Amino acid sequence: MNRVVIEKSILSENNRIAAELREALTASGALALNFISSPGSGKTMLLEKTLELLPAHTRLAVLTGDIQTDNDARRLLRYGHPVRQICTGGACHLDAAMVAKHLEGWLLKVVQLLLIENVGNLVCPTSYDLGEDAKIVILSVTEGDDKPLKYPGIFRKAELMILNKIDLLPHVPFQLELARENARRIHPEIEIIETSCTTGAGLGQWMRWLEARAAKKVAAASAAATRNHSQPGGWNAQLEVQCQRRTRQSRLHAASVD
Amino acid sequence: MHEMGIASSVLETVRKESRRGERASRVGVRIGEFVAVDPDSLRFCFEAIVKTSDLAPLSLEIEWCRAEGGRRGDELQIAYLEFEEVEVAT
Ligand SMILES: Nc1nc2c(ncn2[C@@H]2O[C@H](COP(=O)(O)OP(=O)(O)OP(=O)(O)O)[C@@H](O)[C@H]2O)c(=O)[nH]1
Ligand SMILES: [Mg+2]
Repeated sequence: MNRVVIEKSILSENNRIAAELREALTASGALALNFISSPGSGKTMLLEKTLELLPAHTRLAVLTGDIQTDNDARRLLRYGHPVRQICTGGACHLDAAMVAKHLEGWLLKVVQLLLIENVGNLVCPTSYDLGEDAKIVILSVTEGDDKPLKYPGIFRKAELMILNKIDLLPHVPFQLELARENARRIHPEIEIIETSCTTGAGLGQWMRWLEARAAKKVAAASAAATRNHSQPGGWNAQLEVQCQRRTRQSRLHAASVD
Repeated sequence: MHEMGIASSVLETVRKESRRGERASRVGVRIGEFVAVDPDSLRFCFEAIVKTSDLAPLSLEIEWCRAEGGRRGDELQIAYLEFEEVEVAT
């Protein structure tokens, strides 16, 4: 009998695909965000508000994961951006292969921003890298302020926590400060934004975070492109793609729910 | 409940790492406290799928680790594999 030390991620195949996605997205300067929360915390509604508030010319794409139905994709399609539904048919999380498959034909290069709504679940999506730049966890105030302690995995991995449905605070015994403290106990550097998708409170702060994060990604991509002597793309690098944009956009807008 | 997916990823890796003339008899995995994988349910899923696979019999050792002493608590790794030699038909 012969023991061999392996020390390799169990999800190495997922991680390999995620790394390829990340490389492709980084090459074009596109920012990819993976939204994770319990069912019903407001992932789709936050994305709807985001699509409404972003400049119309933003070249973005949305993938939304659910076990069943294309309800969320239908809601998101109203904003004129390309949206695809990923039906996992039972799986409680998205994995990198599903994302790669659903991005096929949507040249990663045309996208400045890729928004991925994960399956509603605070546990399983945590382990699966989708090639995103950041995971964002949404916690709504009706879920209880102890959730960061009960489900530490996602709060540790998320760069940003959005505390949603703050319009309901008068009706629930949710202590904002305690929720923040609990999240910071798990992840001291986590950024926190409070929002209400129904009243619009905090959405300005969220949009500024998004813009700053996208700018940071473009800067990183440009630096990498300079090192590789190639052209940077992305959020603000619009001029060089002006002539190609029309064809690209028509291709993007032709895409719809599959 | 993504332990079924994790269990099949373990089998995939075992299959990939096995060379001709060797047969894996035991696999050791390391699960950190923050990765949200339940060891009992991982064992249950592993045993259910290994039974009907070409890799049976294959035993599983799970090392569950806290975020302390150099561990981050986010481990989700194959730690080791044990092989026994088998005769290769020529
Ligand atoms: N009062 C209030 N309701 C909200 C807010 N945000 C979302 N909702 C409502 O919460 C419900 C669930 O919102 P969704 O956006 O569908 O939640 P989700 O996280 O996408 O849900 P799944 O995709 O099923 O996991 C809907 O009825 C929304 O209208 C908010 O800030 N305040
Ligand atoms: Mg949704």
